[in-house]
Amino acid sequence: MTNPKILGDDASLPPASTKGGWLNDLNRARAAGPFLAAHPAPGTGPSTTAVHAGTHDDPRTGAVGTPIYQASTFVLNDGQYRSVEDGFARDRFIYSRYGNPSQWAVQEKLAALEGAESAIVFSSGMAAITSTVLALMDKGAHVVASSDLYGGTFNLFNQEFPTLGMSCTMVDSYDFDAIEAAIQPNTQMLYFEAITNPLLKVIDIPRLAEIAKRRNVRLVVDATFAPPVAMRTLDHGVDVVIHSASKYLNGHSDLIAGVAAGPRKLIDMIWPRLLNYGGSLDPHACFLLERGLKTLAVRMRAHEESALALAEYLESHPRVQKVFYPFLPSHPDYDTASRLLKNGTGNVTFFIEGGDAAALRLVDALNIPKQATSLGGVESLISLPFNTSQATFTAKQRADVGIDPGCVRLSVGIEDAADLIADFKQALTAIYPAKEAAHA
Amino acid sequence: MRNAIPTAALSEFVNEVAAAPEEAIMDYGLEVKWQSGTRAISETKPMKVGPHQVSRSFSWTSDEPRQLMGNNHGPNPQELLLSGLGSCMMVSFIAGATAEGIQLESVRIDFDATLDLRGFMGLGTNSTVGFPEIRYQIHVTGDATAEEFAELHRKSVAHSPNAQTILNPVHLNGDIISTRIEN
Repeated sequence: MTNPKILGDDASLPPASTKGGWLNDLNRARAAGPFLAAHPAPGTGPSTTAVHAGTHDDPRTGAVGTPIYQASTFVLNDGQYRSVEDGFARDRFIYSRYGNPSQWAVQEKLAALEGAESAIVFSSGMAAITSTVLALMDKGAHVVASSDLYGGTFNLFNQEFPTLGMSCTMVDSYDFDAIEAAIQPNTQMLYFEAITNPLLKVIDIPRLAEIAKRRNVRLVVDATFAPPVAMRTLDHGVDVVIHSASKYLNGHSDLIAGVAAGPRKLIDMIWPRLLNYGGSLDPHACFLLERGLKTLAVRMRAHEESALALAEYLESHPRVQKVFYPFLPSHPDYDTASRLLKNGTGNVTFFIEGGDAAALRLVDALNIPKQATSLGGVESLISLPFNTSQATFTAKQRADVGIDPGCVRLSVGIEDAADLIADFKQALTAIYPAKEAAHA
Repeated sequence: MRNAIPTAALSEFVNEVAAAPEEAIMDYGLEVKWQSGTRAISETKPMKVGPHQVSRSFSWTSDEPRQLMGNNHGPNPQELLLSGLGSCMMVSFIAGATAEGIQLESVRIDFDATLDLRGFMGLGTNSTVGFPEIRYQIHVTGDATAEEFAELHRKSVAHSPNAQTILNPVHLNGDIISTRIEN
């Protein structure tokens, strides 16, 4: 017997079809979602939102927190068949590659944190990027992107685009005249990162948004380095915000995930690419991500507290040549950061005397930070661009983009600042010969 | 999905446009370049869907049959006109059927039209330069009655931009930018 209940978003109904009617008789309007149930926001603060938005207690047992819906498929009824026929299958549960309650819960939380109508989680940040970019680009289309893109995105634009008949012009993200000059009649998108890696340039997103709107192109921003709490990227006029959720959003270095958030219209255009490219997120990973997100606001405060204290310490150290942290007054984008960022993050990049050899000795001498790539975890992570993220560059190519020898990329976790400072102090003392240190 | 059109998205777009009319404004462009003899290449220019720029990377060749001094390398302009008319009527018909909940199985529009080239040639006769009449038949199978299909036919022509462009006077405003080559 068919279950008459709506298994999905019960606010989403089929458009009424009127015999003899025309298109203007269609009555279904776009709405935010999809949502598991009506769930008014219990508050507006980032912590309250992080804890409560999207989290749905089990309606049958009263168990607190969203259950893990570890199912690949769902029992179908007429309502679900109808959703396929009428093209709103995103609002019903059919198959977990299309949607799953665990995905919906964490999507609702992410959308609330970003101030978005809708969000989709993906199996990685790159799955989110690929699906979003290809949803918003057509045959022959062109994108203007920053010249210091994350390597995975660079590879998508550099290796895959020509095969797909698409092209990309990469420009300095500080040079707004060059960005505007690069826009062609077939340009459909500006693609930038809110904060770049490893030099932590803070991009003036409102200015990019003004250009995008005036030139009729979409603006997509990867805000992995500036999660909500630090910045609500969409508030600055961005069309779609993307994150690698493996970083700050999840915060515990224990899963790979991605998210795209924005207006329902655009996220609904991305959804078919989730289906076609297959980058869906497993329900258990959704549960972990949802749980991680509940502490986003307190984690971000702790990241900032420890990172700022450590950055100030490093800046005062005679062996450290330069320190990049957006909330240090010495940072080239300090004013932009003060204007756009409501909270700092854990990323600190610095350069030490003695080049990459000294930097290698430093990461070995440290006890607390793990020598690992990635960022945004509760534990501090440290790596060197010369043998990881920019390993394919020559020394000159690295220098051209500002990555001089001795560059260290640090993601400060939520450990106590005093412990981190003590660890860096002992490591920096250990790696330089004592005689020289006496002169310092 | 009925007729491979997401009715929900169609409905959402209609309702979006009702609130934000700028999203309904489509800016098109096309460039026709003479290639050789009667053969020309048409290339679509990027268009704007509402305020959003969209790449349109398409091109095709038009030509006349050999009997009309061409090489028969592509459809001729009259066939392309009928194609533009018919494919627009098709979109209108399919969208209208979908909005009504009609499931279509097949649709084919069969066009015929006769032109008297004496008008083109300037031979003094009473013949019109263009088509005096375009005849077509829509062959359709689907889950509607003959009356419902007849009504859908009427409405789809009434709402087809290209059919209405052909049926109504349209301003054709052109300039010529010329360069004289000295021999």
